Amino acid sequence: MATETASRVDEDGAFAGVGLGDGRRLLRGAAGVVGFLLVWHAVSLTQDPFVLPSPVAVAGAFAGELASGDMTTALYQSVRHWIPGTVAGTGLGVAAGVAFAWSGLLDDLTAPLVRTLRPVPPLALIGFAIAWFGINDWGAAFIIAVGAFWINFYAAYGAVEGVSEDLLDVGRTLGVRGDLDAVRSIVLPASLPGIMTGIRTGLGRCWMLVVASEIFGVPGVGREIIRASNNLRVDRAIAYILVLSLMYLLVDVAFRAVERRALAWRA
Amino acid sequence: MAGVNGDGAAGRDGETPPTAAASVALDGVGKTYPGDGEGGSVRALDDVSFSVADGEFVCLVGPSGCGKTTLFRVVAGLTEATDGRVLLDGTEVTGPTTDMGVVFQEYHLFPWLTVEENVGFGLERSDRSAAEREARVDEMLDLVGLTEFRGAYPKSLSGGMKQRVAIARSLAVDPDLLLMDEPFGAVDAQTREMLQRELLDVWESTGKTVLFVTHDVAEAVTLADRVVVMAAEPGRVREVVDVDVERPRDRGDAAFAEYVGRVRELIGAHP
Repeated sequence: MATETASRVDEDGAFAGVGLGDGRRLLRGAAGVVGFLLVWHAVSLTQDPFVLPSPVAVAGAFAGELASGDMTTALYQSVRHWIPGTVAGTGLGVAAGVAFAWSGLLDDLTAPLVRTLRPVPPLALIGFAIAWFGINDWGAAFIIAVGAFWINFYAAYGAVEGVSEDLLDVGRTLGVRGDLDAVRSIVLPASLPGIMTGIRTGLGRCWMLVVASEIFGVPGVGREIIRASNNLRVDRAIAYILVLSLMYLLVDVAFRAVERRALAWRA
Repeated sequence: MAGVNGDGAAGRDGETPPTAAASVALDGVGKTYPGDGEGGSVRALDDVSFSVADGEFVCLVGPSGCGKTTLFRVVAGLTEATDGRVLLDGTEVTGPTTDMGVVFQEYHLFPWLTVEENVGFGLERSDRSAAEREARVDEMLDLVGLTEFRGAYPKSLSGGMKQRVAIARSLAVDPDLLLMDEPFGAVDAQTREMLQRELLDVWESTGKTVLFVTHDVAEAVTLADRVVVMAAEPGRVREVVDVDVERPRDRGDAAFAEYVGRVRELIGAHP
């Protein structure tokens, strides 16, 4: 039984998020994509390229941008604020969510504030981003961080609220004393599944927010999408949208692999 | 193992142990849950007094609603009593303590820890060296026969195995008292009887004092030196029955059946 458990863990780890084991699903997915491209191509024949370019034109634009180096430059520029924004927003969101859910005092103190700030869309904070940080990576990172913060805050808050009182009781009878010990040894591991779901959702949301964060002039993939759209170069716009999709996919697959490994204990 | 002494042997022979040597003493314990505004406060426990001698095995039985679980939580230091006090080796219990090993019906293993990490959880907070902790974990796993599952997570264990891990985890810190709340209530009948035999073996080899809450009268008579029978509304001690039958006890035995009948009658009878 012990070896059975061990082998299952390895299997989970090795195939995490890729689903190589299920060839039929992969095949169906590929068929779906091909079908979509065919329909897209057929419709594009009846439209002007600035309304809907053909997939071939988009592929051409993608190859062109990649060859010229513009695409990698834009991606590098976006990553420069995506990383600090995501890291700061995720870290602060998880920390605040855990702390406010665990401490009744902090929760009471912050509840009205949280409810007031929660509905503010990150885009509405562009003025603050410019005033506080300027039109640069830090300003863009701020917009991304705000989006990541709330997702992680609520995920962590809910996960900590759901931690079983019984496990805390057991911990106390085994010598767990004080908030720090309880949070470190019981609350955090018990709420890790919920926290990781929040982080994963947040990672995707942060790629979406790259466009919003560059709307006020910070260079990057989002800026390229906006510029191409303004110039009616829809093929270029779609090529850069694909860059965001690919980055999201890459990060999501990588994080799922980490998640499966970290949560191998889950039933 | 430490903790065995003459009082334990006396208790095991069925003699009523002297209160002075008590490992656990409940002194007029009462618990009232406040009502929700429109009065209706609930008296869950009223003037519960009894003691358990060092090394003795005492079972607590009673009808549902007699406050068994509340009493368990009060003794464990997880719920505060409204009146009276609980003494563990003469010291008042004011909160959870590692001098007491607590085992719950639903196991409550830490699912993110392996079997050996669960068993070692309490040891991490003791002043033992790493080598001592490791040796202690090995000893406990051997005691409950789970050495080969040491690396497994709780998700892959059966109910009976989970409860063995929980017992090993509570014994690892070498408590004076093992306090158990219907620990075998969630497993099938066959596993329950096996766990009962194993618990008696553990008790005999470690000399621990055991206070065991159950609603199963036959289980109480199988295990206990003495059975504390409770009555409901409010929860109070109805009678303490000495079980004067040699171990291992045979459920087909006439004396055994007589004790079971007597305890059942006490539970069913109204004051």
